[in-house]
Amino acid sequence: MAEEFLIAQDLHKSFNEHKAVNGVSFTIHKGEIFGLLGPNGAGKTTTIRMLSTVLEPDSGDVTIGGYSIRHDSGEIRNLIGVCPQELALYEDLSALDNLVFFGRMSGLSSQEARAQAMSNLELMGLVERARGRVEKFSGGMKRRINLAIALMGHPALLFLDEPTVGIDPQSRNNIYETIEGLRDKGMTVLYTTHYMEEADRLCDRVAIMDGGQIITMDTPYELRSQIGPPEQVTLEDVFLKLTGRSLRD
Amino acid sequence: MIRPLLVALKEVRIYLQDKGDLGFSLLLPIVTFALMYGAFGGQDMFHGTAHVVNEDKGGTYSALLLEQLDELDILDVEVLSRSEADRKLERSDLLMVLYIPEGFSSKLSSGEPAQLTFKQRGNGGQEGQIVASIIRGVAEEMSRDFQVRSQVSQAVAGKDIPQDSIEITVQKFLEREGEHPLVAVGEETVGGKPDPVSQFLPGIVTMYVLFAITLTARAIVEERRKGTLERLLTTRLSVGQLFVGKYLASISRGFVQTLVLLVLSYIVFQLFTPLSFIECLVIAIVFAAAASALGMIIASVARSEDAAVWIAVFFTMAMVMVSGTFFPIGEGSVLETISRISINTYANTAFKTIITEGGSLADLGLELGVLAGVAVVALGVSRILFRVMPGGK
Repeated sequence: MAEEFLIAQDLHKSFNEHKAVNGVSFTIHKGEIFGLLGPNGAGKTTTIRMLSTVLEPDSGDVTIGGYSIRHDSGEIRNLIGVCPQELALYEDLSALDNLVFFGRMSGLSSQEARAQAMSNLELMGLVERARGRVEKFSGGMKRRINLAIALMGHPALLFLDEPTVGIDPQSRNNIYETIEGLRDKGMTVLYTTHYMEEADRLCDRVAIMDGGQIITMDTPYELRSQIGPPEQVTLEDVFLKLTGRSLRD
Repeated sequence: MIRPLLVALKEVRIYLQDKGDLGFSLLLPIVTFALMYGAFGGQDMFHGTAHVVNEDKGGTYSALLLEQLDELDILDVEVLSRSEADRKLERSDLLMVLYIPEGFSSKLSSGEPAQLTFKQRGNGGQEGQIVASIIRGVAEEMSRDFQVRSQVSQAVAGKDIPQDSIEITVQKFLEREGEHPLVAVGEETVGGKPDPVSQFLPGIVTMYVLFAITLTARAIVEERRKGTLERLLTTRLSVGQLFVGKYLASISRGFVQTLVLLVLSYIVFQLFTPLSFIECLVIAIVFAAAASALGMIIASVARSEDAAVWIAVFFTMAMVMVSGTFFPIGEGSVLETISRISINTYANTAFKTIITEGGSLADLGLELGVLAGVAVVALGVSRILFRVMPGGK
């Protein structure tokens, strides 16, 4: 059994009267791709924001690589990379400048940042557009830059919050292959998505959240097995059975 | 230490890429300067227009008066009909008009006193008063000329002296009187000429630095909108370092704007010595530091770009209005007391001390101290506000 790299214990977070996260606990093993699924408003992004030290939980704790988010947020930031749901980059700057800047913020030297930036751009198939301004890029290219930025500094744990929203199949496939390659190199990934086939393909284990709580957690295969022959049912069937068919805002 | 500088450098690069920001902060000062040059460039003496209604049609002396007025470099003469002049006075299009009455020349010829009349609205305005004064001077000279001529004519009446000789004698007398008047008035220049550019430049400079507040106020909100604020906060960059980086970038922008104006003023209007120029740059940096720190307070509390811009614009206008940047404030007045809350007041005083009074930085302990104090306190307050505001850190 691989070592437990992330341990979330009874996390709670409320905004005014609304309980966004209500007693979430789970572990992620080193080198694992862990999927966090759920309908809109389930509490996935709030959970990621707490895990990535942006939000402080009302109660509960998280340890990443042995460090607590309550006491060692500085050390945790050395271990993590975050690819947020929305594009978070400087469109006025070039792709290379974006990567180098965030690399420097992650503690890389100028030379290291430049070398890693070029390497990441190559990984994303964007090396020829390195010096192009990001605002001129297509949506898929921007998504790939968004992911490339998260990889600066070679984080041990990568948070990917819906990294493939609104992009073409080619860019999506490139991102899948990149994530699988990172897993093969031993990187730990926490992945959220609304695309169930994506979770089925990439994730070693998934947790399905609803109403701020984890309602089930297992491998995709085992989850499918719970409602029928795993070869005949999809993860989406499991998801809809557990979270219902009513529309969410 | 390096991270704040990298943030500042990134801000400057984005600023250079953003045509809107760049135009706002660099081209507008240049445009303002061009307007200032157009308004004041090369203008070092009065020039006005005398508006005249001449009802002395065909009169020798009225024609002579107009001719002499027209010969003056500082005056243009515009002749109007009575109805036109009355209408313009009624509508305040003109504030003062000279009326030459009918029979003006014939009265003078017959030795009777004649009268010129100024019609004016209120006190006639500043230009009107100067024009009237010039006209009075010319009229008095004509009158004296006329008196000398008639006295000489009376003295030689009945003697067999040719008219040409009388005329030459009168001319020589007038020339001698002109060269050696009984009461001579001399002029002595003290200090430099009162240049309008040097009067207005401090106000324009401080106003542009205050505009930088608007850009600073958007600093954090923009990062929030782009999503990069949250991303940055997951790196090793601390909030304090982010603040310092944004702050340094803001000072740079404010300083660059000031630099453009001061360099142009140096080259075109030659307002500075090398030392006074450097002293003004020092004041500009300290003022930009104070203004940027106030901008950071707005940046910490604003939750949208619109809110940030509106707060900054209101704040900037209030600062400009209460500081007496573009209109004088009476000493000891209530407004003077109120003006002390505006950083513009201290910056204006500092710039004026250097530019128009020939002072030095040593004379500006209070002003520089207040501006530096505002910078330190405001930066601290902005950091605290960022922490305590909803969603702060």
